[in-house]
Amino acid sequence: MIPAPFQYHTPKTVEEALRLLERHGDEAKLLAGGHSLLPLMKLRLAAPRYVIDIGRLKTLGGIREVRGKIAIGALTTHAEIEASDLVRRHCPLLAETAGEIGDAQVRNRGTVGGSLAHADPAADYPAAILALDAEIVAASKSGHRTIPAAEFFVDMLTTKLRPGEILTEVRVAPMSAKTGTAYMKLPQPASGFALVGVAVRLAISRAGKVDDVRVGITGVGLKAYRATAVENALRGNPAEDKMFAEAASFAAQGIEPLSDLHASAAYRKEMAAVFTRRALHRALGRARGKAD
Amino acid sequence: MKLAGVRTLPGAPSEVWALLNDPARLARCLPGCERLEPAGQDRYRAKVKFGLAAITGNYAGEVELAEKKPPKSLRLRVEGKGTPGFMKAEGRIELAEIRPGTEVKYEGEAQVGGLIASVGQRMIEAAAKKIIEQFFESAERELKAGKAKR
Amino acid sequence: MAAGVGTAAPKGHIGRAMKRKEDPRLIQGLGRYVEDIALPGMVYAGIVRSPHAHAKIRSIDTSKAQTAPGVVAVLTGEDIRGAIAPVPCAIQMPDLKMALRPVLATDRVRCVGEGVAVVVGSDKYAVRDALDLIEVDYAPLPAVVDPEKAISKGASVIHSQHKDNVAYKWELEGGDLKKAFAQADKVIRQRMINQRLIPVPMETRGVVAEYRAGEKKLTVWSATQIPHLLRTQLAAMLGAPEHSVQVIAPEVGGGFGSKLNVYAEEALVAHLAMRLAKPVKWIESRRENFQATIHGRDQIVDAEVAVKNDGTLLGLRCRVIADLGAYFQLLTPLVPTLTGLMIAGCYKIPAVRVEITGVFTNKMATDAYRGAGRPEATYIIERVLDLVAAELKKDPAEVRRKNFPKPKEFPYAAPTGLVYDSADYQTSLDTALKLANYPKLRQEQDRLRKKGRYMGIGLSTYVEVCGMGPSSAMPAGGWESGTVRVEPTGKVTVLTGSSPHGQGQETTFAQIAAEMLGLDPEDVNVLHGDTTAVPYGIGTFGSRATAVGGTAMYLSLVKVRDKLSQMAGHILAEDPKKMVFEGGKVYSKSAPKKSLDFAAVVGAAYTAKTLPAGMEPGVEATTFFEPSNFVFPFGAHICVVEVDAETGDVRLQKYVAVDDCGNVINPLLVDGQIHGGIVQSVGQAMFEEAVYDEQGQLITGELMDYAIPRAADLPRIQTARTVTPSPVNPMGVKGVGEAGTIGSTPAIVNAVVDALAPFGVRHVDMPVKRERIWRLIRQAREGR
Repeated sequence: MIPAPFQYHTPKTVEEALRLLERHGDEAKLLAGGHSLLPLMKLRLAAPRYVIDIGRLKTLGGIREVRGKIAIGALTTHAEIEASDLVRRHCPLLAETAGEIGDAQVRNRGTVGGSLAHADPAADYPAAILALDAEIVAASKSGHRTIPAAEFFVDMLTTKLRPGEILTEVRVAPMSAKTGTAYMKLPQPASGFALVGVAVRLAISRAGKVDDVRVGITGVGLKAYRATAVENALRGNPAEDKMFAEAASFAAQGIEPLSDLHASAAYRKEMAAVFTRRALHRALGRARGKAD
Repeated sequence: MKLAGVRTLPGAPSEVWALLNDPARLARCLPGCERLEPAGQDRYRAKVKFGLAAITGNYAGEVELAEKKPPKSLRLRVEGKGTPGFMKAEGRIELAEIRPGTEVKYEGEAQVGGLIASVGQRMIEAAAKKIIEQFFESAERELKAGKAKR
Repeated sequence: MAAGVGTAAPKGHIGRAMKRKEDPRLIQGLGRYVEDIALPGMVYAGIVRSPHAHAKIRSIDTSKAQTAPGVVAVLTGEDIRGAIAPVPCAIQMPDLKMALRPVLATDRVRCVGEGVAVVVGSDKYAVRDALDLIEVDYAPLPAVVDPEKAISKGASVIHSQHKDNVAYKWELEGGDLKKAFAQADKVIRQRMINQRLIPVPMETRGVVAEYRAGEKKLTVWSATQIPHLLRTQLAAMLGAPEHSVQVIAPEVGGGFGSKLNVYAEEALVAHLAMRLAKPVKWIESRRENFQATIHGRDQIVDAEVAVKNDGTLLGLRCRVIADLGAYFQLLTPLVPTLTGLMIAGCYKIPAVRVEITGVFTNKMATDAYRGAGRPEATYIIERVLDLVAAELKKDPAEVRRKNFPKPKEFPYAAPTGLVYDSADYQTSLDTALKLANYPKLRQEQDRLRKKGRYMGIGLSTYVEVCGMGPSSAMPAGGWESGTVRVEPTGKVTVLTGSSPHGQGQETTFAQIAAEMLGLDPEDVNVLHGDTTAVPYGIGTFGSRATAVGGTAMYLSLVKVRDKLSQMAGHILAEDPKKMVFEGGKVYSKSAPKKSLDFAAVVGAAYTAKTLPAGMEPGVEATTFFEPSNFVFPFGAHICVVEVDAETGDVRLQKYVAVDDCGNVINPLLVDGQIHGGIVQSVGQAMFEEAVYDEQGQLITGELMDYAIPRAADLPRIQTARTVTPSPVNPMGVKGVGEAGTIGSTPAIVNAVVDALAPFGVRHVDMPVKRERIWRLIRQAREGR
């Protein structure tokens, strides 16, 4: 459990970090909370020559409101997100999801930026990020750019981030009234990773119909995805359990579910539908729970 | 683990066959392969640097083609070993003409051992699918480039 | 019953729920484990292990590693050929095919994790880097993984000196099985799997060795459960004289049987210390622990039971295939035979037959793991009882009760040949049923079933054999040593051959000694684990520390108390037989006001100004206690689960455990053992499985893929006790370290099967993973 030798840098600014990234190219890795990178390094599955520790860059921390959106710094820990009043009030889905990650020790150290950039196919955040239509802000030598969540997850462990870019912030629009959210997960009993994780954002109309819905699913395929077939089957229809059950059956449509030691493709496929239905039901309860 | 599937590649079966039997071009299709050096009849030594995001490894390997029935089918064996572990994949590749391209059917088995087998179970099948995906994408690029040259 | 020991509410220290003396130092990080040992000039060892399950070693190139920075030495199997004997197996059996593990492989490897080379370096980082530089050229061979395939025609033979992969065949028969099956109203058959488990102690293995050339003295610190036995074996393996070898078990962070062994690394590190003339440290990583520390269980069982329609058991026949792995460790072949010995459980079964085939496969060795063969037996018989109840449409509690021997039938000769010491299974079962409010649970189950919810109730009434044991039945002796030394100022030092690694004897033995001598447990120190300080002992395993080690100490306490009574009687001119030891004082029952300080009596024996005729000075006694029998704790567990039919998820709702370990020294520790044992059972029943794939790769290679239970997985465990003292030892104690693990697993599985009864499910194999349950329900719904 000892990593291969590496050189360790602690840049004092984001600019310095970007310079180091450019200089060392694919021989460098960024270190934030370390809970995705360090286990890989200790196993020697990853052996970057240069480790650029951005974990102390204060400008990358903090949760605040920016132009009506909740802006969460990349170095915010899962524990901070779970506990944040701002997040709990305006996008409780993110707080709920953060609370489902790993265990207390992991939540105290792991960061939202590090987790998203790593894009583990069984990580929890991606489902929520997709359901929230969040925006990911990345910094590079040429400035900042914003990547919509729907485009962010490209493949297994692969995001739209370019070499030399640093994920700096996640932005989420506050939840509107008559919206309920839920994140429900079937954890792998040993690691706690999601065998199936479903994040739902459900907006209902006064007449009790589904105004809009987002369903983000993780753990099932090579990357987290939006279950658009479920969303299309729900939109405009009555918000009720029977409808949810029918729509949820499309949860894995178009996806080749993964198969491994812990769950077969068939089981993942069915659990995707079960947990989609359950998350929809819970989100509806929460949407209704809000007074008009 | 079992690997099986069907893909379509541009070009006639004879062109696909030529690609598979040309070590220089085949090397460009094998993900992470730096070079294929001849090591006998239809056998090659390979140096592969393969990675999936942060997970990278250097492997020394061997590629062998056997039971050749041009341009219809052959058996392909790929073996590699490196510090992350070792792997062995063996399968049958069948080519059938479906104008204007070729339908490629593959069926085989892969085994993985060492470190990745003991800690990477949940990613192994996914990684195998990715590798096959990358192989076909590169093959497609090679075939198109080959056409462009002519 | 001995004086001072009883079942009444404790006035003294025995029976007192006292907090452990060990805990303050452990909780504050002041315990000294093998990893904490640092010696001047110490170097570190790391082992190159085979990634192949079965392969020829064509060549090993160590040249790059030899010249790497910080490397002191690199050795292969060739370099130590002849210097270290293979890893020993203590078991002898007629026709046992031996398969001993070389300390480092030479021409062939036979399981993933087998060591092929060792690197020694100035720090652990240099060692780890150098390990990657060693190039081993393997020629893989077919891996033999499935034990049933391993013994069928055409299988590759793992050990070429044997003709096949059968390690042994063992049989036990009692009664007339033919008659039993001929008379049966019904014969019920079931195939069951007791899956391979990884012990997962919190502390992995580790060894530090130092050789002092001037004194020709080798000291080995090892996280071991058997320091003396280890010393004897290491001396033999290294060809060193035993009296120059010292083994010390420092603080040991859990063993569960996995450290009851002699490992290649222990001998290798000791050899390196002598060869390199430097202290050497080796600490196992978790991944190495998974691959190269012994595994538990791994049996395939075909069980057949003959019954009468009224639920009377007539006969039981079991065919067991035991997957032993590639090489034997210390007790490997013995463990499945313990399954045979306990197959009848706590029932009067007139005829039994057990046939065990031990099989070699390309895996790590199995050996003793908490329960060692007895959880497997209890699982079989308790599942059988539930299958019988289901078939005959009777209540599982009543079928059990019908077949119990009565308390007055004890000592009871079981058809397996064992004589159970004492028991009251009826009271145990009744207590559990009452505590769980069993009739109400059944009502609740009916109510929930009508609502489409699946609640299950599982029972297990168990007995187990422990307090290992009469030496005639033990490979290296089954006695234990206990020395009681009272220091001149009246403080007590106990030296015990028991070797606690979490069990708490520093507290419980102090309670016993304090009670016997009228002192406070703070006045008693219990020393263990150092072969130079402590007389030879057999060690801690098989739930024997209190029953055997405690008895040895007790008998020495009696000798010491008798001596001090003589001394006090001499000083006070009173009858020694009337002496009372209480509150740090000694006085005669007939003249209580004329008391002496305990320390004064002791001091007098040391200053020896006036001793009774014939008495030696000093106050010390040693006893080597040979038990006349095993002891047999027993109990009744009831488990309630709810199964989510959609996902297959199993939730534990309630757990009631009524256990009887005879007289209780410290109820906190007994409860702790029961809780811990139950949690370990939950692990086997619900979460754990060591999986080797078809190539013999251990794919559950880390805790990321091998799930062990967490606190959140458990409900509050309700424990209760019955107390049926054992006639086997003066304190009337049985053992309790493994009982929880033995009794609990079938209660959980029985509950899950009971929950799934509406689906027509009659058996579920362990672990009862969600997908497994989900498939069974699907199959039932689809009418398959």
